[in-house]
Amino acid sequence: MTVPLSTTDSIPTVGTIRASGPSFRDGRGLDRVLVWLTLGFLVAFSALPLVYNVVMSFQSVDLFTIASFDRPFVGLDNYKTVLSQRATGTIVRNTAVFVGLSVALQLTIGFGLALYFQQRFPGSTWLRGLFLAGWIMPGLVVGGVWSWILAGDFGVMNWALQATGITSDKIFWLSDPSIALYSVIIANVWVGVPFNMILLSVGLAAIPDDVYEAAEMDGAGRIWRFLTITLPLMRAQLGAVISLGIIFTLQQFDLFAALTQGGPSNGSNVMQYWSWELSFQHYRIGQGSAVSVLMILVVICVAAIYVRSTRHEHAA
Amino acid sequence: MLRDERLTQFALLFVALAMVATYMFPVYWMYVTALKTGTEITAWPPSFWPANPDFAAVEVWQRMRMGTYLKNSAIIAVGVTAIVVVLGTGCGYALARVRSRWMDVALFSILMMQVLPSSLMITPIFVSFSQIGLLDYPRTSVILAQAAKVLPFYVVLTRATFAQVPRELEESALVEGNSRIGAFFSINVPLARNGILVAALLIFLQSLGEYVYSRSLIQSRALQPATVGLQSFMGPNTSDWQGVMTYAAIYVTPIILFFVFLQRQIVSGLTSGALK
Repeated sequence: MTVPLSTTDSIPTVGTIRASGPSFRDGRGLDRVLVWLTLGFLVAFSALPLVYNVVMSFQSVDLFTIASFDRPFVGLDNYKTVLSQRATGTIVRNTAVFVGLSVALQLTIGFGLALYFQQRFPGSTWLRGLFLAGWIMPGLVVGGVWSWILAGDFGVMNWALQATGITSDKIFWLSDPSIALYSVIIANVWVGVPFNMILLSVGLAAIPDDVYEAAEMDGAGRIWRFLTITLPLMRAQLGAVISLGIIFTLQQFDLFAALTQGGPSNGSNVMQYWSWELSFQHYRIGQGSAVSVLMILVVICVAAIYVRSTRHEHAA
Repeated sequence: MLRDERLTQFALLFVALAMVATYMFPVYWMYVTALKTGTEITAWPPSFWPANPDFAAVEVWQRMRMGTYLKNSAIIAVGVTAIVVVLGTGCGYALARVRSRWMDVALFSILMMQVLPSSLMITPIFVSFSQIGLLDYPRTSVILAQAAKVLPFYVVLTRATFAQVPRELEESALVEGNSRIGAFFSINVPLARNGILVAALLIFLQSLGEYVYSRSLIQSRALQPATVGLQSFMGPNTSDWQGVMTYAAIYVTPIILFFVFLQRQIVSGLTSGALK
């Protein structure tokens, strides 16, 4: 299940509640306390671990030093070890392919569905909502169901491909190193399409009908209207959906755990799974932290660009 | 003319149904497999309707100890939801009401903490929790970690809801001598009730499916939630697909039902939070 990120600030500022002073009961003090309660919790359980992660990535942390606070600092050794491994190239490439393909497919399919369900017919809203059922299921269950669909011997996917004559041999989706990554991508696209569709639907609904009507009167065809009206007016929405898609795809973990466990021989491994694997299966915690720091930097950059761009738009 | 229009509507509806059916096929396949016998599961070509429906729910429930797993999932989800609602509701309210540079910084930090992937935060959480002894209470550890993960999402959603409550109502309550806290509980919370409930429900459902923290922080099988339980039955050489799919079906049916009944509220709550 993915999580939306708030974007714009469209809340009208009708005049702030006048505070008589920072008293807890009646003034601004209350608001501060309320925000600090949440921030305090988040600092303790998100921000501090984040800082600790950076510290550990410069330390030698393994099974023996895990409980002690006094661990030797090793400078950039963890980063060097991690980056010089033979698997690193594969894993970085996999991560890029996973994110790029997932986001591109989720966006095109989601946009197509959003456009389709924008038409008025009985039950359109309700049927559109049904798609979210895939999004709300636990990732582990989605992965389990897909691993049965994609099973090499008895999987229904192979049957469908053979029955329609697309392939003649069975494809070993989960055990063929050159294909395993695409299995996870298929499942991830299935999970992500609904969210893309719903967000894009909201944007489409906001485009006034008369814009289209006017263009139609001027003799603009369907495709031309899509290119000159829909796409430009949806630019902000598309930007938001793409950045959210990147963030969620970088968070995806459950599907890897359920489908391929990063294997075979790192064929489907990505950075976020690798980091966990290093820490929790090989107990090379310092190296796991180093991978994690690198990835978190990427996530934060995408998120910062996204949050900034949406705010900017609003101020304008 | 009118007949043409109705025909178009039917065609549109028909295509839409076909698309929903295609999309929902994995869910259908899970239920059908759960009802098949072992020999039928390995039949080739696969059958799309169970010839001899075999209802294995009770047997799978006992054999896979689903009672324990689901109980743990429920404990974790309830704990997370409780923490998040208690801490986050007021924060969502304050962020919706007060505009200042300060609040902008707070909101920005909360948004940034929402994007941190669990699988990348688990390493420092595991080490620090083990150092302060929290790992002796593994389910509590998961609850705390997961609450931190989903709290920002809840704040964002409730903030959108509180922003829709007219300010004037609260102000008139203040004029009548209510305190801010009193006005918050007697005016804002009741009016934002639906949004709060939807947000809390989403947090609850999401925490029911939590995996990476539970897998990493909980060692004892008796304390693990249903996701980890499912994974442990799904090794690379699984042949018990009926068992796995029955497990999955029992696990997600309540979630899907919840969702179908509350679909409209969930969709609107989600889009308002994500886009406002």
